[in-house]
Amino acid sequence: MSTKHSKAAEAYLHDDAVATRHDQTFFGVRQKRDRMAQSLPEWEDLREAASQIKKHTATHLADYLELFEQRAVANGVHVHWAQDAEEYNRIVFDILSSHGVKKVVKSKSMLTEECHLNDHLEKKGIEVVETDLGERILQLMRLAPSHIVMPALHVHREDIGDTFRKLIPDFEEIAKGYAPLGIAQPSSLDNDPTFLTYVARMHLRRQFAEAGAGMTGANFGIAETGDVVVCTNEGNADMSTSIPKLHIVSMGIEKLIPNYEAMAVFQRLLARCGTGQETTVYTSHFRGPRPGGEMHIVLVDNGRSSILGNAEHWQTLKCMRCGACMNTCPVYRRSAGYSYTYFIPGPIGVNLGMLRDPHRYYDNVSACSLCCSCDNVCPVKVDLSSQIYRWRQQLDSLGHADPMKKMMSQGMSFLFNHPAIYQGALRLSPMVNWVPAPLINLKLNPWAYGHQMMKFPNKSFHQLWKEKKL
Amino acid sequence: MSAKEEILKRLRANTREVYDMPSLVDLQGITFSDPVAEFKKKTTTTAGARLIELAPGEKLGDAVRRAYPDAVLIASNMPGVEAQLNPDTVADAQELMKADVGVVEGRIGVAENACIWIPQTMKEKAVCFASEQLVVVLDHKAVVSNMHQAYAQISRSAEFFREYKFGTFISGPSKTADIEGALVYGAQAARGLTVLLC
Repeated sequence: MSTKHSKAAEAYLHDDAVATRHDQTFFGVRQKRDRMAQSLPEWEDLREAASQIKKHTATHLADYLELFEQRAVANGVHVHWAQDAEEYNRIVFDILSSHGVKKVVKSKSMLTEECHLNDHLEKKGIEVVETDLGERILQLMRLAPSHIVMPALHVHREDIGDTFRKLIPDFEEIAKGYAPLGIAQPSSLDNDPTFLTYVARMHLRRQFAEAGAGMTGANFGIAETGDVVVCTNEGNADMSTSIPKLHIVSMGIEKLIPNYEAMAVFQRLLARCGTGQETTVYTSHFRGPRPGGEMHIVLVDNGRSSILGNAEHWQTLKCMRCGACMNTCPVYRRSAGYSYTYFIPGPIGVNLGMLRDPHRYYDNVSACSLCCSCDNVCPVKVDLSSQIYRWRQQLDSLGHADPMKKMMSQGMSFLFNHPAIYQGALRLSPMVNWVPAPLINLKLNPWAYGHQMMKFPNKSFHQLWKEKKL
Repeated sequence: MSAKEEILKRLRANTREVYDMPSLVDLQGITFSDPVAEFKKKTTTTAGARLIELAPGEKLGDAVRRAYPDAVLIASNMPGVEAQLNPDTVADAQELMKADVGVVEGRIGVAENACIWIPQTMKEKAVCFASEQLVVVLDHKAVVSNMHQAYAQISRSAEFFREYKFGTFISGPSKTADIEGALVYGAQAARGLTVLLC
């Protein structure tokens, strides 16, 4: 009676302290988002505008992509098209290898996770260095992201400190440079976040200098001007593209918006919804190559054009990956990213996983209490919980209905269709109250799992109604 | 058929009902009776930056020196700033990683979030990110209330689209909260930011 998600969540909840901290951390982000929303009188107008702009763009996407390509090429950018992950990985490798690149610095991109680009490049001998601090921590620890915006918030500072000491070759040398900053000796604050961030800063700045290419994702592409917009707080996307001369952008085709007027709407929503900030520190518009450099944009489909044809689920294409639905989701907060079998967790991940492969990722549709909070925080009004509900309705036809629930449904259907048996069962039900509790609250009775068996009333609602006692 | 043709064909075949672009004319962004005051407040609070104002008769270079008296290597291509490194003439962008202070010109300040629009008016944009500390010079008359106004101004700017391959909004110093959610300034890019309001 359990899905992979519910089993993993159960295991996760065994450590109450860890689960509580995770819950509180992300609820804190949700509260910051609320304060942002409440401080703008035009908040709901912004959400409605964002939703309509995305609906418009998604239903005119072919035209906008052609316009975007034309403008980008006019700006001196090379534009490539990839139908799937394999083609995308091949294109990126070809660009890198034709430039003799041995090391690439990379800012966060969920698309490259989706396509497993890093594995592909490393198998072919190109070193990939993630430059977002959270992503770098995970890369060194060989872990996957647990959240799309704050990927390593579940990792504890002690483990980060240990990893840095073990895997950053010049750790000691970097640590020595920390003292002149006049704060304190590193030995006395071994795993202090300020110290560890300093170590990462110095380590990564060497990588920027050594790399032959910088890769970024794209938060937005602007069709009318050919701009690619990348938003970060750390400035790692900008460092990755200011020092190396080759810049490769990986962009899912749904990231396109029409123009600067639309960009203002999304810029105002992204950080407020994602992290509860008024803006990210950097909102960078890339319109062409560095002097003496090259800029490439790879437009990736990988299933997106098929989603557009799905009448019930096409609006997932509006998503701008802010992560607000995860932060508010009571199931995500109490089960964390690794409980989900798709690499994007939370409400949007449940839906994107089903669109990717329902037979592989159906376990995640149980990760929803249908509280609908995600629908209310989503800046582009994706109907996330309704979509999850619809997937659940399809589980039986997909062949993944839970056998016990299916049996119960059939039993109930039989009962409700035979009034005499129903009435009889109703009259007899209070007898259950006389069964000793230890026999009822057994593991065999899933109803009693996590709570006591209910007490059946002596008179049913039906009976009371007939006796006019209601 | 090429990948591009396949993708476009699928998109066109899979488009069912179509939606119009909404009119954004009536979308009113938040405005402030004194945008400059709000900009100063946001800069020095939420954005985590410092703000100094050019004193009457003070030269730009002197104000930069006042902000960073100990700086050894200053990187800038702005007239009036005494700089040891020039982003227009450095042999390699990497040299700018050594700069103690970079000085660049901002064109628009945004009161709602302390963003400053900096088009790439220099050859190597690394000066905006790689310097240890960044000074952004901004005319107080260039402050608007919100991002709608800022983007409208940029999209009207023929100069930007003709001249520059890059532009960025910067609000405060580089920061991260990736280690247990603790806010730390000075992630990969500039550790500190000073807005020099003229």
